[in-house]
Amino acid sequence: MARPGFVLEVDDRTPALLVPDGPRVRLERFPLGTEVLYPAEPLPAVGDLVAAIDAALAAPAESRPLADQLRPGMRLTIVFDSVTAAPALRTPDVRGRIIERVLVQAAAAGVDDVQLICATGLNRRNTQGELRQLLGERVFRSFYADGNLTNHDALDRDRLTVLRPAGQGQPASQPEGRPDDQYEIAVNSRLAESDLVVAVHLAHDIGQGGLTGSGLGMLSTGLTSLETIRAVRGYGAPQGRIDEIGAAITEAVPVFAVEAVLDNNSYPPALDFLATREWEWTLKSQAKLLALRGATALPSRYSLLINDRLESGYRVTAVNAGAPAPVAAAGRARVLEQQQVEVSGQADVLVLGVPAVTPYSIGSVTDPVLAAWHALGVGYNSVTGEPLVRPGGAVIVYHPLAQEFSTLQHPATVDFFADVLPTTTDAAELADRFESKYADDPWYSQLYRTSQAFHGLLPFHLWYQLAPAAEQAGDVIFVGADRGSAARLGFRAASTLADALEITSATVGRTPRIRYLHTPPALLGSVT
Amino acid sequence: MTASTAPAEAFGTPLHGATQAEHPAPTLDGRLADLLADKKILLTGVTGFIGEQLLWKILNDLPDTRAAVLVRRKGSATARDRMTSVVKKKIFKPLAEPYGGPDGLLDAKIDIIEGDLPNVPKLPTDIDIVVHCAGDVSFDPPIDRAFNTNLIGTANLIDRFLESCTGPDGTFTRMPHYVHVSTAYTAGRRRGAIGEAPHAHDIDYEAEMAAGLKIAAEIETQSRTADQLAKFRKAAEREHRAAGHLITATDTERRRKEWVQQKLVQAGTERARSLGWTDAYTFTKALGEKVVADKCAGIRASIARPAIVESSLKHPYPGWIEGFKMAEPIILAYGRGELPEFPASPEAICDVVPCDYVVNATLAVAATEPKVGVCEYYHVSSGARNPMSFREFYGYVRDYFLEHPMVAGERGAPALPQWQFPGAASIERFLSRSERGHQLANTLIKFAPRSERTRKAARDLDRFGSRINFLRSYLGLYNEYAQSELHFVDDNTLRLTRSLHPDDQETFSFDTGDYDWTEYILHTHIPAIVAPVRRLEELRRRRGNRATTFVDLSRTKDKPGEVLAAFDLDGTVMSTNVIEQYLWTKLPDLAPTGQLREIASIARKLPSYLRADRTDRGMFLRTIYRRYAGADLAALEEFVDTVLAREILSRLSPEAVRRAREHREAGHTTVLITGAIRPLTRPLRPLFDVIVASDLATDANGICTGFLTGPPMVGESRAAWLNHYANLHGIDLSRSYAYADSHPDLAMLSVVGRPVVVSPDIALMRAATANGWSSVIWSSKAQDPRWTRPFRIRGRDVPPATGSTPQLESSAESSAESGRESAGESAGGSGAESSSAVDVRGER
Repeated sequence: MARPGFVLEVDDRTPALLVPDGPRVRLERFPLGTEVLYPAEPLPAVGDLVAAIDAALAAPAESRPLADQLRPGMRLTIVFDSVTAAPALRTPDVRGRIIERVLVQAAAAGVDDVQLICATGLNRRNTQGELRQLLGERVFRSFYADGNLTNHDALDRDRLTVLRPAGQGQPASQPEGRPDDQYEIAVNSRLAESDLVVAVHLAHDIGQGGLTGSGLGMLSTGLTSLETIRAVRGYGAPQGRIDEIGAAITEAVPVFAVEAVLDNNSYPPALDFLATREWEWTLKSQAKLLALRGATALPSRYSLLINDRLESGYRVTAVNAGAPAPVAAAGRARVLEQQQVEVSGQADVLVLGVPAVTPYSIGSVTDPVLAAWHALGVGYNSVTGEPLVRPGGAVIVYHPLAQEFSTLQHPATVDFFADVLPTTTDAAELADRFESKYADDPWYSQLYRTSQAFHGLLPFHLWYQLAPAAEQAGDVIFVGADRGSAARLGFRAASTLADALEITSATVGRTPRIRYLHTPPALLGSVT
Repeated sequence: MTASTAPAEAFGTPLHGATQAEHPAPTLDGRLADLLADKKILLTGVTGFIGEQLLWKILNDLPDTRAAVLVRRKGSATARDRMTSVVKKKIFKPLAEPYGGPDGLLDAKIDIIEGDLPNVPKLPTDIDIVVHCAGDVSFDPPIDRAFNTNLIGTANLIDRFLESCTGPDGTFTRMPHYVHVSTAYTAGRRRGAIGEAPHAHDIDYEAEMAAGLKIAAEIETQSRTADQLAKFRKAAEREHRAAGHLITATDTERRRKEWVQQKLVQAGTERARSLGWTDAYTFTKALGEKVVADKCAGIRASIARPAIVESSLKHPYPGWIEGFKMAEPIILAYGRGELPEFPASPEAICDVVPCDYVVNATLAVAATEPKVGVCEYYHVSSGARNPMSFREFYGYVRDYFLEHPMVAGERGAPALPQWQFPGAASIERFLSRSERGHQLANTLIKFAPRSERTRKAARDLDRFGSRINFLRSYLGLYNEYAQSELHFVDDNTLRLTRSLHPDDQETFSFDTGDYDWTEYILHTHIPAIVAPVRRLEELRRRRGNRATTFVDLSRTKDKPGEVLAAFDLDGTVMSTNVIEQYLWTKLPDLAPTGQLREIASIARKLPSYLRADRTDRGMFLRTIYRRYAGADLAALEEFVDTVLAREILSRLSPEAVRRAREHREAGHTTVLITGAIRPLTRPLRPLFDVIVASDLATDANGICTGFLTGPPMVGESRAAWLNHYANLHGIDLSRSYAYADSHPDLAMLSVVGRPVVVSPDIALMRAATANGWSSVIWSSKAQDPRWTRPFRIRGRDVPPATGSTPQLESSAESSAESGRESAGESAGGSGAESSSAVDVRGER
């Protein structure tokens, strides 16, 4: 039985603890009394994945078995998570294996018209190599060359079908009643034209910080139009809208959802000791750590190569299939079972580390905006209820915030950082003054559609996700960070943890209650 | 005077014979204003330092004396224009007021004669006195100019003067007085006491003059010989070959002119030294005195010989000075901490006289009535009775700057060097050591990799170099003077000032023994010359940095379509080079052994490629592009779109992209000019309205022949293209922009009004500094280590765009095509249209 997550209180026997610090890892001694939240060990994985998939497809929740829904001459579309939504898993990727099982059944049923669409949303197009890795050589080869395996394009109005035009939605549910609540819902035309859509999703989060969350999230942000995604990710968009839109799509289009819930093995097998508890490290682990620290001390573009080469070691703890809503609920329940850690009360100071690779920096660099988003959008919100830190408390983040950007993947973030952030860091003002310019920019759009760039709105959407945390926290301090970057983002920089605590002492006092989120692997704090 | 060919025997016996005045010089009897009343004085050199004050003094203190001025035209400014700007100056303001301004003053009080110095026009017949203080004041004039102004000019002036005084019957209508302002240093390299008398020598000035002018013509001829021109060209090519032939040619001609100038100066200096003078200035001035003595044998003639003339002590106000004179650059350089040592003898006399003393003395001399046929000499100097040694002078300068340091910029006061006066030889050794070091460093730095650190080193090196040059030129000039051990006897002058009417003493006295050096040098002169420099620097500080050619585009008022912005590709917009680009396209096609072979072949040829790049960029590009022979152009384009786009886009400099987009937003036409092959520019088409690149020629099957359809767009052809394009499309290049990074792009930058250099190489950085162009640093950092990528490219990174092709691409394409064709570029067969795309780089 896997050990559950727990809270360690640092005493004088506690060794230095592992803190991810962007491309590197460091060992940090925390002040006595610091509460360290350790994630649970991985839940037991399903033994035979193929059998589990087949079983789920045969006995779906609130739906007829998949095989019963397949008939010759139908149009079948399989949509799946892009690398941004779920990291590349150990080959063969689970997505590919699920799709293979679906295709086997489709072939058996004589379905000819099958298309595969990568649910990229406003994220970058997945490359040929990535698609091959996600789907496996066989699936890739059968579909790619004929143009039956594509990335979604949220700007291709010719291939988008409006399910509900703007202005016909429910009246604004929010008190302030923003006019853009009257948003359009448009999906990839292939979905609208399909007799059945199979949505393949990997569940490993609950949508905190704008992560995909459930399969409904994949539908509403991965396969819809720019306007629809803006309605979900835009400034002040209500929490539940992602699922509302997902539900609206499933009403219009017959969707058969297949979700595989991932466990906690976010580190590659060679480095899985990093997920274990420091006092249990063997000599071998320590030697590996030494080697890792040596290797990542290289200039960042080399350490990036290393991080890039590592496949995560996730395994599947459950496979659910059927109607999207119950599948999503089951997936969420399993994720909570894996990740939830109970803590009592809110702390004064929350310490977070940003890992080497974030969902948006696969194959590129984690720039300052991404790092801030990962800390304040994902890390801060990794809770089931109340935040782990009290309002007005401090957030201390480990990341170098080096001013390195990917001109290939994040052309808009480069300009956002250089032109927009110096003007304002206020999310409302950003939305008001700059968002539309970036949304319609022809250069960003061109790069999004033909190259490997994220859409121009990515930095805005990231900022809207991190803004509430930045507002609630009294101080946000980056340890060991580029001071210029920190100031540009509207935060502060400190050289060491001790200095950071010194800076915050004005607001939280000399003996604050410190809480360190020992991630990755992911955990969700549950404050009681 | 019985000397033979050289003045040697006169040396060492300075007070002997003709060098000693044999009679008492005339003195004054009465007030100057009365003595000079109703006289008309013709002044030359009023646009100069002493002349201007002479004019002021006459207008201010000699109410009944009329002034005439001989002024030459300068460019489009007539004599009248130039005089207007003289009397517009502050000191003339009270004088002009009664006449309603400068023009009124000119009309009422001053006769203006327009004329050049060697070619003096006919003079009016009512001139009583000529005061000739025009002359070439630089110490190292070219030999022809020195003779022309100091000898021929003087001779012609006297001739015209004599003509104007001579009646039709050949006799003088009145007795004229010619006053010649010379210099005390006409004594040349003599030593000891110098009397107020002609210098003993019997140099035939006419022969010298003829020889000097002949030499000048010969030097000019010599500079145009094939050998010499080849030398200039080679030197210019070493520096500018990469920038193109026209720029090299311009530099060649500049070098020729510089060489002529240098040779002329050298000829003058050497001739002067061979006869016992320090330089061409004192030499020709000395000959000029002899001209005066000879020509004025029948009239009254006097020669005033001031020593080093500096700012005024009393009139028009203490510290009045115009322009920079002799010692000022040295004083300022010391104040800036840039003069580590000076080759002066510490005890040498620094013979400085205030300007107003010289002016007073000159006017007093003009009022005397010397005996006809006896030329009188007056030393206006301080050394005899009120000597100041060089060490004392140094002490004043040092004290002044210790108390009032020059604060240049934000680094506080500079450290003031302490002079030890080690002697000329030691300083010479120091200088030549520094020069050798500078030269060596300068050669080495050309091989340094391009980086901000290299640029900073080059900037420091340049600053060091200009400092050495400054030292070298000034030390060369002043060396002789600072070591001269001359002692100017000023008995005549002293007697003259004492004979001034007691009422004139206050206004006209010029007894150089009557002032205190501390008062004059420390409290009057140095503050006076430093003040304008301080004002200038203050202004510069307030204005911030120099004008910039990198302007904020959001506030531009240019009309759309009238301005273009040209960008260079390699190194400016993107960090690559053509070899790397070639490897990108080539290597993925090969098996590992083939890759190694290809790289080895490139590596083997690399030295010859680099050499080609240094000499002829166009040839270098052709050599590389020859390697594309056999490639399918359509497949190459597809390969760029699906695979290489990643490389290209991830190496873009974000600042460059932002700038290009800002230009487009401002309504400017954005142009990419590159020697790279066109397929590689495909991912950049949305950014630029026009792309000028090299087109690979193809055969009937769309296979590249390895040749280009036209010459590659490098160097001066870019400038020509821009000019042509601007003409065709009504674009104003003077308001246009260009961005480039290396020396070959100099021509392209030069044709636009707002050139900006981007992370430049050293040669371009120097050119930019010289032209006042802005320099920016645009970084482009690819995430992958540079050389790993070509090996890792496998298959496509990006799936080919399916469904509808994005609109943008096609519009960019068409505008690029139309721009290219209309600009007269041969579009050639780009091949993409004519051939079917055969995927030679299929899947692996």
